[in-house]
Amino acid sequence: MQSQTPLPDFIASLFDMIPGVSGDSQLVFIVSALIAGTIVGSLMLTQTALVIWAKRKITAAFTDRIAINRVGPAGLLIIPADALRLLSKELIVPEGVDRPAWDLAPLVLASSALLGFAVIPMGSLLGIDFQVADPETGLAYVFATASIASIGLVMAGYASNNKYSFLGGLRAVAQNLAYEIPLILTGMSVVLFAGTLQTSEIVAAQSETLFSLGAVAIPSWYAFVNPFAFVLFLVANLAEVGRNPFDIPEAPTEIVAGYQTEYSSVYFVLMYLGEFIHIFLGGAIIATIFLGGPAGPVLPGLVWFLIKIWGVFLFTQWARSAVPRVRIDQLIEIGWKGMLVLSFANLLLTAVIVGVIV
Amino acid sequence: MIGILKSMATTMKHALDGETFTVEYPDVAPEVSPRFRGVHKFSQERCIWCRQCENVCPNNTIQIVTDDQRNGEQYNLHIGQCIYCRLCEEVCPVDAILLTQNFEFTGDTKDEFAYDKEQLKNVPWYKDIDPLESREPDRGAWIGEGDGEIDYQ
Amino acid sequence: MHHEFRWTLSLAIARSLRLSTAHSPPEVSRMSLEEPEPSTHGDVGVTEDGLDYAALEALIGDSVIGRESHVNADGFVVRPDDVQAVLGTLKSEAGFDFCSCVTAQEYQDRYESIYHLKKYDDPTQEVSIVVPSPRDDPHNQTATPVHQTAAWHEREAYDLVGIEYDEHPDLRRILLPETWQGHPLSRDYNQDKPQIVTLREHANPLQEDARSASDPDTMFVNIGPHHPATHGVLHVKTTLDGEQIADIEPDIGYLHRCEEQMCQQSTYRHQIMPYPDRWDYVSAGILNEWAYARAAEDLADIEVPEYAQVIRTMSAELCRIAAHALAMGTFALDVFGDFTAVFQYAFRDREVVQNILEDLTGQRLMFNYMRLGGVAWDLPEPREEFFEKVRDFLDELPHKLEEYHDLVTGNEIFQMRCVDTGVLSPEKAKEYGCTGPVARGSGVDYDLRRDDPYGYYDELDWSVITEDGCDNFSRVLVRLREIEESARIIEQCTDLLEEWPEDDREIQANVPRTLRPDPDKEIYRAVEGAKGELGIYIRSDGTDKPARFKIRSPCFSNLHSLAEMSQGEYVPDMIASLGSLDIVLGEVDR
Repeated sequence: MQSQTPLPDFIASLFDMIPGVSGDSQLVFIVSALIAGTIVGSLMLTQTALVIWAKRKITAAFTDRIAINRVGPAGLLIIPADALRLLSKELIVPEGVDRPAWDLAPLVLASSALLGFAVIPMGSLLGIDFQVADPETGLAYVFATASIASIGLVMAGYASNNKYSFLGGLRAVAQNLAYEIPLILTGMSVVLFAGTLQTSEIVAAQSETLFSLGAVAIPSWYAFVNPFAFVLFLVANLAEVGRNPFDIPEAPTEIVAGYQTEYSSVYFVLMYLGEFIHIFLGGAIIATIFLGGPAGPVLPGLVWFLIKIWGVFLFTQWARSAVPRVRIDQLIEIGWKGMLVLSFANLLLTAVIVGVIV
Repeated sequence: MIGILKSMATTMKHALDGETFTVEYPDVAPEVSPRFRGVHKFSQERCIWCRQCENVCPNNTIQIVTDDQRNGEQYNLHIGQCIYCRLCEEVCPVDAILLTQNFEFTGDTKDEFAYDKEQLKNVPWYKDIDPLESREPDRGAWIGEGDGEIDYQ
Repeated sequence: MHHEFRWTLSLAIARSLRLSTAHSPPEVSRMSLEEPEPSTHGDVGVTEDGLDYAALEALIGDSVIGRESHVNADGFVVRPDDVQAVLGTLKSEAGFDFCSCVTAQEYQDRYESIYHLKKYDDPTQEVSIVVPSPRDDPHNQTATPVHQTAAWHEREAYDLVGIEYDEHPDLRRILLPETWQGHPLSRDYNQDKPQIVTLREHANPLQEDARSASDPDTMFVNIGPHHPATHGVLHVKTTLDGEQIADIEPDIGYLHRCEEQMCQQSTYRHQIMPYPDRWDYVSAGILNEWAYARAAEDLADIEVPEYAQVIRTMSAELCRIAAHALAMGTFALDVFGDFTAVFQYAFRDREVVQNILEDLTGQRLMFNYMRLGGVAWDLPEPREEFFEKVRDFLDELPHKLEEYHDLVTGNEIFQMRCVDTGVLSPEKAKEYGCTGPVARGSGVDYDLRRDDPYGYYDELDWSVITEDGCDNFSRVLVRLREIEESARIIEQCTDLLEEWPEDDREIQANVPRTLRPDPDKEIYRAVEGAKGELGIYIRSDGTDKPARFKIRSPCFSNLHSLAEMSQGEYVPDMIASLGSLDIVLGEVDR
């Protein structure tokens, strides 16, 4: 394995080549970190743009339809067409909205999810390691930033001056509270195994071989080590990102579109982006702590990483096609009475196992 | 849990079998049955101006104007107002009005759908289906045309 | 039949707490011509050969001021202030527990309300209660305390005809806007008078309704008329306590198209028939046409050839399958939350039925297939091809239904959502005049195809489906199982048609070109539509157009029960209940 250069360092080394600029200066450090962040952010935004096309194709496959096939090859040009369409729409600001909050909400939503990607190890491509930062508190940071989205939802719901938005906002808070705790607790069981919060270390801990099936070595991904925690996390993650069967903050057939009812044009695009980046962040967390991060044979790490987060996205769409939405009270009940208890059990069990074995 | 998994298995099966039921209209012209009721076709040569179609029409879609000798002058039909019940065709003793299979028509205003007899005459057959053949095979004989071609143009 | 067994099993688990023996092999009453069970109420007037109206007259005694004879039943003319007493006595002593319809009309000299009463146990036992009231000041007592369903019917009568019902709990307009001037079906109504419908553009919608004055903890929400889940333009005024429904009131009339009046201006023979397709416009067209055909044929004494009856029966059941598939798909849409798989699969299957119907009738929705005295067309040539198409569809059906059971009824979350929500007890269902799958989902064993046979149904072997769950789940289950029964009927019809001797294929009776039924004949006849009892009242006046044409829409009565179902439930369950009622606004508003 060749040595990997972290992305910011690689950019800093490029600056180094410019005569008269020292790669060690604080300014270069900050600028290269910013550039690295932009690159990673753009990468994820590209994925969400792809979602515009992929989501329709996937849904169509589940429902026996053809879906977009006329705009460009396989309908791919629908992406620029849709972007143009959405952006060129009129931004309708309803009477009586709570202005700064209403404007900020989409920004908060979209950015909170993007922030999380800073510490996700996305694997390497051409010797460059796509990870902006690798702090020791990596996992805690990811969960913290992802949770900021709840504030965005409440802001959107409360500021819209619309009863459906209001109900949607309330639902969003109730749901996020109920599912964040099991989510983090389940994540912590992995931390117990790995003994660290640092994302790169968690990934590294999964690179060992769990057992060999003939010539195929099964790596010790935590999804294989602790499948129970994996399933718990997968379900809690569905609720956290608000997808079926837990899409009740939006619930089109009940409260029209929930917190995003009143948003149009650019703000809607931001909401939409935020939602899908959030799904990808969920996928990235799952990939990092359960699926060995960017690990995989043959292909470069970054490609494997993208395959994994798309796999999780596919799963959310699959669940959407077949699982009915639960009711709000049932959702809360499942969260507090089911998931929470199970995740505590999982945590204790993991603690015992780790304590006995190690 | 088993039920949910079964549901998911069912949709996955559909996703993988690659079958679709939607159609690629208008790239592929859809099949319509021979009895399908679309835009009307009118033959002034056959019409005897008996006004039965005008009388039977449930929502006054057909308007006939005759001179004082009861010679037909105008035959107007608002295909945007028509409910395609086929009663006009049913009562017509001479098959002067027929509903073709043609279901495609567009216009910028409602007025464009008020067809006069020339426009009605020029309505094309859909996929060359002549409804007379498929609907009531013995009707041509009944009106004395024999087995020959029925000329609507 | 193993799929049936499977969902039976999962159901039994879901409901084991509540119904210990609910789903042992489906308990359905066999098609039979047996005398119905004696009702729990009194049965005054019931004799071996039909109703003894004299006994009924004796029962309600002094209130009767006259007798009328309608084609379907005898009518008693009663005084306007005796309505409750008469209907109450008939309900408790004679078992007339079903107020099917209230027809209001204006004569030259008087107004008249007709209460069409039936029995859920045996709908062939009918009686009409005719209540005249003076032209200058039309008043009658309301029937609401006796039959809850009369509340809406009387509101409609007030709205369109202008009769005032004393002691009515809530006598407001129901179809037309509140500001409407005049009553469109009354004789002195001025059609050309401009009507002003206020838009209240400048009112701040939040000002008054943000919280109700009496209970500041509640919130008023307008669900609809533009809302993703109201199945059309229905407006549900909802007061929420948190997410639970404190008060709910459906507001209808957005799709009112004067269907009754249009029929009154059309000729019996031809012009009315295209319109029933447009009442319940989601593929139940032929069922609706049959309602008119049955009423008009009985009114004008037209015999329908047997061959035509078989075709009618087959095409009607095809329509029922299409309608139920749509109902199931949209209900799944409401519960699943998106245009997901079930909805699309239901549409895919409905598409097949529509192709068959297109081959047969020439249209996919607006069939206009029936004619008085028969049907418009024989089966399409070549017949073998048509039969093959139908049989292919029937062969595929069990597999598809199994898929639905996998996707919908077997899904635990679906059961969680639907079992025990939107509960409508059988007593309430009867009070609200519910019919069709809604009533049968509440265990009310009532199906006009068996109980008041028409067409070819009594010659065929099929069953009436009932479920005792009384909840959203039961109503879905009833529809799914009714698809199976419809398939059985179609199969038998196909067999019959295939073997029908070629020289006996008479599709239409000889009916005069212009139909003028004798004057002052009145008839109320109903058929089992896709949503329930679809009744038509016609009064003739000797011309070729009806003097009064009244449509008894099953959706109208079924929708009335929404408030009963969703009181105290969560918003999502109200939406699910609304979906399970399977209303079509075109039929509710007419």
